[in-house]
Amino acid sequence: METITKVNTIKDKLIAEFESSKGSLFGDLSIREQALEAFSKQGIPNRKSEEYKYVNMELALKGEFLFSSSIKLSAKQIESTQFLKEAIVIVVENGKFNTEHSKTSSLPKGLEILNISDAVSNDAFKKYYSKYADINSDPFIALNTSLATGGVFIHVEKSAIIEKPIHIIHITSVSENTILNSRNLIVVEENAQATIVESYEIVDSAAKSFNNTLTEIIIEANAIMDHYKIQDEKDFGQIVSTTQAIQKMKSVFTTHTFTLSGLLVRNNLNMVLDGEFIESHLNGLYLTNGNQVVDNHTLVDHRKPNCNSNELYKGIIEEKSSATFNGKIYVRKDAQKTNAFQSNKNILLSDDGTINTKPQLEIYADDVKCSHGTSTGKLDEDKIFYLRARGLSEASAKKLLMHAFASEVVDTIKIDALRDYIEAKISKRFE
Amino acid sequence: MANEILAEQISGEYKYGFVTDIEADNAPKGLNEDIIRFISKKKNEPEWMLEYRLKAFKYWQTLEEPHWAHVSYTKPNFQDIIYYSAPKPKVQLNSLDEVDPELLKTFEKLGISIEEQKRLSGVESRIAVDIVMDSVSVKTTFKETLSEKGIIFCSFGEAVQEHPELVKKYMGSVVPYTDNFYAALNSAVFTDGSFCYIPKGVRCPMELSTYFRINASGTGQFERTLIIADEDAYVSYLEGCTAPMRDENQLHAAVVEIVTHKNAEVKYSTVQNWYPGDKNGKGGIFNFVTKRGICLEDNSKISWTQVETGSAVTWKYPSVILKGDNSVGEFYSVAVTNNYQQADTGTKMMHLGKNTRSTIISKGISAGFSNNSYRGLVRIAKGASNARNFSQCDSLLMGDKCGAHTFPYIEIKDKSAIVEHEATTSKIGEDQLFYCKSRGIDNEKAIGLIVNGYCKEVLNKLPMEFAVEAQKLLAVSLEGSVG
Repeated sequence: METITKVNTIKDKLIAEFESSKGSLFGDLSIREQALEAFSKQGIPNRKSEEYKYVNMELALKGEFLFSSSIKLSAKQIESTQFLKEAIVIVVENGKFNTEHSKTSSLPKGLEILNISDAVSNDAFKKYYSKYADINSDPFIALNTSLATGGVFIHVEKSAIIEKPIHIIHITSVSENTILNSRNLIVVEENAQATIVESYEIVDSAAKSFNNTLTEIIIEANAIMDHYKIQDEKDFGQIVSTTQAIQKMKSVFTTHTFTLSGLLVRNNLNMVLDGEFIESHLNGLYLTNGNQVVDNHTLVDHRKPNCNSNELYKGIIEEKSSATFNGKIYVRKDAQKTNAFQSNKNILLSDDGTINTKPQLEIYADDVKCSHGTSTGKLDEDKIFYLRARGLSEASAKKLLMHAFASEVVDTIKIDALRDYIEAKISKRFE
Repeated sequence: MANEILAEQISGEYKYGFVTDIEADNAPKGLNEDIIRFISKKKNEPEWMLEYRLKAFKYWQTLEEPHWAHVSYTKPNFQDIIYYSAPKPKVQLNSLDEVDPELLKTFEKLGISIEEQKRLSGVESRIAVDIVMDSVSVKTTFKETLSEKGIIFCSFGEAVQEHPELVKKYMGSVVPYTDNFYAALNSAVFTDGSFCYIPKGVRCPMELSTYFRINASGTGQFERTLIIADEDAYVSYLEGCTAPMRDENQLHAAVVEIVTHKNAEVKYSTVQNWYPGDKNGKGGIFNFVTKRGICLEDNSKISWTQVETGSAVTWKYPSVILKGDNSVGEFYSVAVTNNYQQADTGTKMMHLGKNTRSTIISKGISAGFSNNSYRGLVRIAKGASNARNFSQCDSLLMGDKCGAHTFPYIEIKDKSAIVEHEATTSKIGEDQLFYCKSRGIDNEKAIGLIVNGYCKEVLNKLPMEFAVEAQKLLAVSLEGSVG
């Protein structure tokens, strides 16, 4: 019989990496081993995989990769990424919690912030870690669960109201091609309230990075949480960012995803509405240019009756970039009286750009109101004419209209400083 | 009228479930090259046709059954199907008198009275019918009247014999045998079907119609329809189908191809009422059909209208390739599922030419334990400037054990495109019901009224004869589904 020589694929390399580093990883090893098995079953998705049809993950993960970076950034470099002045700052540098630069010394009452690898014995950690992010549903969840190197654990105690936003800065700085797996767990207990901003930045990086990051968010009964994700990884950062959120009775969760740059951005936002009278808002804005690929996947899983969800994603696509929106509303049999709405609007400004959109409804309950709408087009000629008739140049008329298009999402930002920051970024972009 | 519908609702069982006792000439069960040679020989086909079949068969053997659709069923055993069944005695039929009286009775039961139509031939509303029973086309009416205008309307088998140049040129040009699993299977084993050619500048004076009927037990039906509209031609084509009630699942895998040349228009309407299985989901037809049209040249138009009420499992996406500039594609659909029926249906609109337009209106109604999915693709290719698409997919749920799903894919590569998609899912509005009831209309009737109103946009597109039948069908299909 002929012997088949096995090609050393990225999958094999990842598995080998786990074997060599498993002694130094935090948490329960059995969870990691199960996850690794789930990952080796699923493998890296190719273009034939329905969920990863429009992003070429095989291409993104081609070549040699390291699994950590030893670069330590200076305080000044880190400061340059702190765009919120009034915030509790946490720094996750190259997939690991950075104690030195994180301002966790004088935290308000009811707030606990730990390096996730120090949180292993915490009760909330034990209760929730890896409970909701299903390793069998996505290979990148499995990969992260098996290889996670670090991140932050945030615990907001019962009835605690944290007024200042918590800003988690994920900084990547690599000298060689590197795959990073960071993992965060956020627990907001009953009647508590918190605002969390996650930003993704690349500073002084010389090679390709692939960030596979996963944030689990648990929102207990009557809790309120605002979540912001700002992705700005320039022209060479690649990122798969998964947010797994679970909401309990009467909680309110608002999440915003702003994708401003990045070579390849894939967002998986999975929301589980596991209780009655829940309110969820999902907002997203993506501005793409160059050869960028942005793929937003959202899943809203209505499990219980009387919940509301509202989703709004908008995008402006320029040059050779491609943007994908794939949103699913899933209404289970028991989830009567569900109101679920979804809207996706795109403007395509170049003939080389691509928009793929797949808004889906999967509904098993009858007393519901669900709808989705999507539209794709160019800038309205009539509107341009109106503005030009009032003395604006064509360029500034277009700029004004693009601003107006984006402002529907930008206006949902509740933190003034953050809104100003995003607006400034957009203005700069459209110059 | 409403009373009649109600009466039918109460007794609303599948009324086409009879079996006609006609002796049939069957091929043995199973599928291999010999069976294909047998079919080809039976049909007295030329060598090139057999070669095409064998090529398709070879390719089919390399394929795996697709499983991406939102349906679940036991995979048919392709070796346990009779691939050829012809009603016997098979003689060349010249006039109606020569038709087996049993067969004529079948048609009467089906509500297609050929005699009556012959008699009414002077009347404005006329339909020429090609009837395909099991695997063989048994009768084509009005052939002579049509041939005066140069229109060719005959069974596929006849077309292979008499118009091989047309068949050779167009067959497989829209749905190649490499297209998908069932298209490959069909290309290998298809037994008959309809062929229609409308010559340059001719507007077909009557509606053309094909009626499909599965009769024999254990058979699969694999027919092929090919419609060609030459420059400036127009035709409206109807298709209907029924089958007897049986406990087994029978397979229907058809291929329909439409080609339109410059300024031509084809309107294709389907009322699909294959046996859906009983209340417990036993039996019923697997309806796995590939339908596609191509607007080959400028200013042409293809319009699909379908009313889907039958079949245990439906898997069907009538599509349009908009290749010519200024061409237009339309898709209007009502899909009803009840009991344990499953439907995964929708359309594909491929915009390639400039200034192309497409409209998609899909109305799904699910009741009982059924699942009803819309799956569609709108693709605007690079360079297809000023393409325009509007899609609307509405779903209506009746009962809390059924499911309604929407899976639209939209892929855009041209900046001048304008594409809109809307979908809603809801149940019948309490306020609408209250409005009707406060005016003395009882619950069932009110629901009938609301459902018909909900589907109106699509039903309006059907030819008159079909619209009446479709309305009744909707009511029967939803019988007892609302409490």
